[in-house]
Amino acid sequence: MISDIVFLVISLITILSSIMVVQAKKLVHSAVYLAGTLIGTAGLFLLLEAEFIAWIQVLVYVGAVITLILFTIMLTRKGEEE
Amino acid sequence: MNAYELIVNILTALGAYEPVLNIFKAHGAEYVLKVIIVFVEIVVLMAFVLVTVMFLTWMERKVVAMVQVRYGPMVTGPRGLLQPVMDGIKLMGKEDIIPEKADKWLFTLAPFIVFIPAILVFVPIPFGDYLIISDLRVGLLYIIAISAISPVAILLAGWASNNKYSLLGAMRAVAQDISYTIPLALAAIAVVLFTGSLSTVDIVNAQSGTWFGIIPKWFIFLQPLGFILFLIASIAEMGRIPFDFQESESELVAGFFIEYSGMKFAMFFLAEYAHLFAVSAIVVTLFLGGWNGPIPSFLPAFAVPLVSLVYFLIKTYAVIFFAMWLRDTVPRVRIDQLLNLGWKIMVPLALLNLLVTGFLVTILANGVI
Repeated sequence: MISDIVFLVISLITILSSIMVVQAKKLVHSAVYLAGTLIGTAGLFLLLEAEFIAWIQVLVYVGAVITLILFTIMLTRKGEEE
Repeated sequence: MNAYELIVNILTALGAYEPVLNIFKAHGAEYVLKVIIVFVEIVVLMAFVLVTVMFLTWMERKVVAMVQVRYGPMVTGPRGLLQPVMDGIKLMGKEDIIPEKADKWLFTLAPFIVFIPAILVFVPIPFGDYLIISDLRVGLLYIIAISAISPVAILLAGWASNNKYSLLGAMRAVAQDISYTIPLALAAIAVVLFTGSLSTVDIVNAQSGTWFGIIPKWFIFLQPLGFILFLIASIAEMGRIPFDFQESESELVAGFFIEYSGMKFAMFFLAEYAHLFAVSAIVVTLFLGGWNGPIPSFLPAFAVPLVSLVYFLIKTYAVIFFAMWLRDTVPRVRIDQLLNLGWKIMVPLALLNLLVTGFLVTILANGVI
């Protein structure tokens, strides 16, 4: 019962932020929403009691991939504002 | 073996647990009592972290003053102990400025993404026998994964401020953070090879007892190189003074939080000192025996968690004092020296340490010697 509610909340957050990834006007905002999606996925893994995969997900995707994406976006010229 | 069971045991010993549980059971809502107990744990943890951060700011100023042969803060309270309270009140009273060309949403979000992992990292840290919020099966991995979130927030803070100095500071901070996380994790893995478990409680338990009745079985004696690598890497990851490029005052004014004021600045400040305490606590857990220490057998059972907490705090504050002492003694290195040290010296040494440790553990496990 309670785990169903938690599952609904986490999946709503994941789905909404993945929609926002393609909807956001600025690239940096998309990257932040992508981080939200990936953390939501880690939450789903935690619900399945797969702690190891959940924290590896946070370490690899949020820690490394999002940092790399943000680095790339910030070091290139801001073209999206024109 | 966690704080939840400790609270239940104390309530049972006081004779209060059964009646209260029956009241909740009568309404069919036992989980409400569980939620209340967990909430109490979280409140105690938050209060502990806040008081520790306030004490650490006072201690930092006092240690700097001691090295420079001055008194430091002396006016507010006995020996200036209430100075952090006044600082907090001052920061709360300041105007909260958001620069006109800043990205307002990310500018407001970034302090929270820095602050929340700094608190979350305390969940699997064993403060003493029973004194742990949750003994996660993958505690060490959890600590490393949660610490990996902060570079994202630092980049966001530096970029959202729309200031070239803060962007430069953020890029330096992230470059440094990424290059020193690798030797940090490799040194921690070498410890895990000995214990065969990622749980922090198992790591502390593996260090109980002594060799020859004198030398404590701490991993610092089995892993001297790993200990040095872990200590240097964690000081570099925190960005404290020998490695403080992210906020080097003479070049970048203050690094990624130049534009922040008031409570948002206070959140960065809180996160920094909470991180200092957390990292020192992890060093103690991995290498210095955690809460282990000689516990006299005549003590009653309820005093054991308290005595172990005292041992843990003594060791942690010794590591914190070392970090502060280093700050006052060593000048800042250059960015190229820092990255060379990280990639060309510390990563190969950490790999060598891991190789030798794995070799020895395999030999010992197969009973060759």
